[in-house]
Amino acid sequence: MRLLFSLVRKRLGAFALALFLSILTLAAGTGLLGVSGWFLTGAALAGAAGATFELFAPSALVRGFSFLRIGARYGERMTGHAATLSLLSDLRAAVFGRLIPLVPLKGVLSRTGDFVARLTSDIEQLDLVLLQALLPLMTALAGAGGLALLLALTLPEALPVGLAGFAITALAVPLVLVATGRAVGTASVRASADLRIAALDGMDGHLDLAALGALESGERRFADAAAELRRARLAEARRVALGPALAQLGAGLTMAGTLWLGLAAVQEGRLAGPVLAGILLAILALFEVTGPILRGAARLGSALAAGRRIEALVSAEPSVRDPLAPARLPGVGTLEIAAAGYAYDSGRPVLADISLTASPGERIALIGASGSGKSTLLSLVMRLDDVTEGAIRYGGIDIRDATLADLRAHIALLTQDAPVFIGTVRDNLRIGSPFADDATLHAALGNARLDGFVRSLPNGLDTWLGESGATLSAGQARRLCLARTLLSPARVILLDEPTAGLDAETEAEFLGDLLVAAEGRTLILATHAAVDRAAVDRVLRLESGRLVPA
Amino acid sequence: MSTIEHNPSRPSPIAVEAGAWLRAQQRAGGAWLRIAIAVPLVAGVFTVAQAYVLSLLIDRALAAGVPRAEQAGLAALLVAIIAARALLAYLGERAGARASEDAKQAIRGALQASLVRRSPEWFCDKSSGVIAAQLVDSVEALDGYFARFMPAMSAAAILPLAFAIGLMPIDLVVGTLFFVTAPLIPAFMALVGWGAEAASRRHLTAFTRLSGLFADRLRGIVVLKLFGRAEDEVARVRAASDDVAARTLGVLRIAFLSSAVLEFFAAVGVAGVALYVGLSYLGYIDLRGAPLTLQAGLFCLLMAPDVYMPLRTLAAHYHDRAAAKAAAADIASVIGLPAAEAEGTDAAPSRALPAGPLAVTLSGVGVDAPGRGMVLRDVVLDIPPGTRVALLGRSGIGKSTLVEAIARLRAADGAIAIGGMPLTEIGEAELRKHVVLIPQRPRLFHGSIADNIRLARPDADDAAVEAAARAALVLDFADRGDGLATPVGERGRGISGGEAHRVALARLFLTDPGLVLLDEPTAHLDAATEERIVDAILAFSEGRTLIVATHSQAVARRMDRIYRIAGGRLLPVPHRPSAVRETLRGQGERL
Repeated sequence: MRLLFSLVRKRLGAFALALFLSILTLAAGTGLLGVSGWFLTGAALAGAAGATFELFAPSALVRGFSFLRIGARYGERMTGHAATLSLLSDLRAAVFGRLIPLVPLKGVLSRTGDFVARLTSDIEQLDLVLLQALLPLMTALAGAGGLALLLALTLPEALPVGLAGFAITALAVPLVLVATGRAVGTASVRASADLRIAALDGMDGHLDLAALGALESGERRFADAAAELRRARLAEARRVALGPALAQLGAGLTMAGTLWLGLAAVQEGRLAGPVLAGILLAILALFEVTGPILRGAARLGSALAAGRRIEALVSAEPSVRDPLAPARLPGVGTLEIAAAGYAYDSGRPVLADISLTASPGERIALIGASGSGKSTLLSLVMRLDDVTEGAIRYGGIDIRDATLADLRAHIALLTQDAPVFIGTVRDNLRIGSPFADDATLHAALGNARLDGFVRSLPNGLDTWLGESGATLSAGQARRLCLARTLLSPARVILLDEPTAGLDAETEAEFLGDLLVAAEGRTLILATHAAVDRAAVDRVLRLESGRLVPA
Repeated sequence: MSTIEHNPSRPSPIAVEAGAWLRAQQRAGGAWLRIAIAVPLVAGVFTVAQAYVLSLLIDRALAAGVPRAEQAGLAALLVAIIAARALLAYLGERAGARASEDAKQAIRGALQASLVRRSPEWFCDKSSGVIAAQLVDSVEALDGYFARFMPAMSAAAILPLAFAIGLMPIDLVVGTLFFVTAPLIPAFMALVGWGAEAASRRHLTAFTRLSGLFADRLRGIVVLKLFGRAEDEVARVRAASDDVAARTLGVLRIAFLSSAVLEFFAAVGVAGVALYVGLSYLGYIDLRGAPLTLQAGLFCLLMAPDVYMPLRTLAAHYHDRAAAKAAAADIASVIGLPAAEAEGTDAAPSRALPAGPLAVTLSGVGVDAPGRGMVLRDVVLDIPPGTRVALLGRSGIGKSTLVEAIARLRAADGAIAIGGMPLTEIGEAELRKHVVLIPQRPRLFHGSIADNIRLARPDADDAAVEAAARAALVLDFADRGDGLATPVGERGRGISGGEAHRVALARLFLTDPGLVLLDEPTAHLDAATEERIVDAILAFSEGRTLIVATHSQAVARRMDRIYRIAGGRLLPVPHRPSAVRETLRGQGERL
């Protein structure tokens, strides 16, 4: 919630205006019904007694309150929702922004569907906290003040009943509902995330399931998840249903209690009859504010659970940080890995005592079985995590002393699982170089042996690529990602299995082209494929976390 | 904003169809929906009773001067009525929630069932994030329609008019005032509601796309960070969110306008009754024959807010209907609305395939891949039972397409026959039992490695799963974690591409097909591992027909026949099978 409140502060003016209009609406509604009751009863008694009754003030008040209420209501809803929506937009951007330093998000990204649930529906849940709970709650506090004032002036003995009834209905009951609703709310949010994962599994894995004749099993998993969500939501509904019921009960009993005390006061001549009628109708109108509070409170549990998850996500410590006084990396330099070692948090060593020097323009092939640590070594050079022993230097400067932005301007990596993003071919390429013109893009595509294909498409660079680049073959998707990497200004290019999914013929062509395209850049190529030793300067082999000459 | 606004070949949704479909879903709500609709009507009776008793109490005390002690019975009755109303409110909410959850579950089931029956081609150009968002979020958006809108709708249609008619004997003017104004309100609301619905649909579309965009950018967040582009994506996310906020506000501006109309009538109703009744008492207005009692006047005033209350409740839930219709139209435009009755697809009797290895014959087969044109044309192939065949060719040339067409996972022209039987005449269950395909990019599911292997044969025991895992070299890497219980992340996170392939091969080894189709089974593998995997595949394919799409010469050399795809056609490659096969037979028996 801390993140939320820090963002609320920026929009304080808008929220204050919404609160003011909300109080005004309640006051006008209460005044309208109260004055009406008082006026009507007074007129009846005066008419029966043949007495005169001053008409002007009550009828003006009745008309005034009704128009005030209409206007204030509309204004309150618009300002309140506008403020909340811009706050949610702030929140989305803040959450996404805070996430970036946490990349590669150890453990978190293992459930993308779950994560998406946090960023969209969890954030949307949070509007309940402000709009449906906090704003009515603060309005209710003002309403309690108004009620106390009214009763103190007219019927002091009803003060305990009126205030207690209002406080229990508008404050105590919602708090109890929230306190007991946490577990239920968490379960409902989790069930929703699980359903999304089951749906994603079913869609992305449709070919696998169809090919294995296992579509029913996928359907069953989804059905189970949907049933679980239904159970969780029903458990939540049991409590949500208490809200309106308790609001009605609280309003009715408070009114009845005040009536009972008021009857005695009227009988004793301490209270005028019309005033009693006015008080009773005002109380009925005042309790209107408790409905939204109780409805909001019963759902507050899931909103709080969502809030806690967001908070937990963004408050994690980044594993890699920029130095306070960064050194600048030289334009061209030697990449030096000096006695570097790396172990997972569990202590399991992955790499040990790796030493490697790549001079500017040098081409090095790094071979080894899958799982030997090639990808890990390359990600350490990119500072996706830091070495646990030794150091990595560029141009003699420890990469931990440079900013990440500087490092990435000098070294680029094509990861093994680089995706094709939803967007056009141009969108995808410009991730490597935001301002590259079409000629540059076509040149990069040419180097990756994809230009002919892209030019043959009816929309060329503007061709839309679906999820996972499904309209491209695996090899074409790889080549698109390579072109993206080649567009980077970096002088050192790291390639992790760039030819996976390509046939031997294309692979050979591609590696040949790559060496031309890399012209003068340092190249480290991690691959399990057979390497043409004449094409590279050196071949090294990684074997169970250690570097050996090949 | 161009990215999420892009709208490739999206048919315009049919709102009418969506509305009719939505109404048809009421049946899924069942008895609970009927209870939820009935409860507010019953509660209306208690509303009248409460106003009557309260006004009577005040009248007796103020006009007749009845002492408090004599009013105890009436006061007790008032409390009882209040309690009954609260109980009814609770019942109504519960029944509404139950009806809505039942309906949503039924709808999700029907949508999923209709998705499952589609061909894999359908999924090619769809974003799975968008579809998942529809199954989860769009269906969730139907919630308010069943839980709140439907009960509120019937209450609003009946209660205000019933109250107005009931008030006529007490005071004709007040009754008539309510009778005339109450029906006007829905007319005004419908007017503003139409706009609200269109706006609501736009909002939901933006929201679904936003969800797809988030999923996509998140999947590639490492790449974005590596290129230093992550900060720009924050701006993009921010712009997308602002867009959603603006759209939502557009919906609300209109929705609030309709509630302002209502607020106007409700306030005018209260003020009108108060002024009319008060002036009648004072003799300024005389539209009635008999004088009005205090009780009658108070009763009219107390009923005034309640006459409009059902309409206000409906207005509060009107956007539920708009959101639900918009969600239904959104589902209609991407997934399509499932028919109420599931069509009996497996009803056609199918002929049984023979046991043992299956022959494969293709004649004049052509495949037109969406967006790629004719990938294959006039392919002729005749594979005798038990033969092992390699399909070689450059990436993107159509190897996967051909293999998927043989497995009937992709539509193809021409004739394909398996085991001498036309592919179109084989029942789905029969085909899957005898023909197994492992795709190029196998998908691992959320769960353990063992769960993923068992997918191929749900009743397989632990020993069988372990044997399959060992044969597919899964144990080599699984033993680094918790063995076969090692969890697999969503989209196979924590498992490399080569490892995912081995898990998929283990799936194959649990089955007993007559025809095995493998698509690039050794991509991502080093030469040594590739050789061991091919050993295992050859051992398993003993007594089966095997077709392997591969770009690896090493794999192809070990097959009986090699074909090369070039220019959309299949060409045989001269090839003498190596003697390796004989030595492998021994390994096969050991497996």
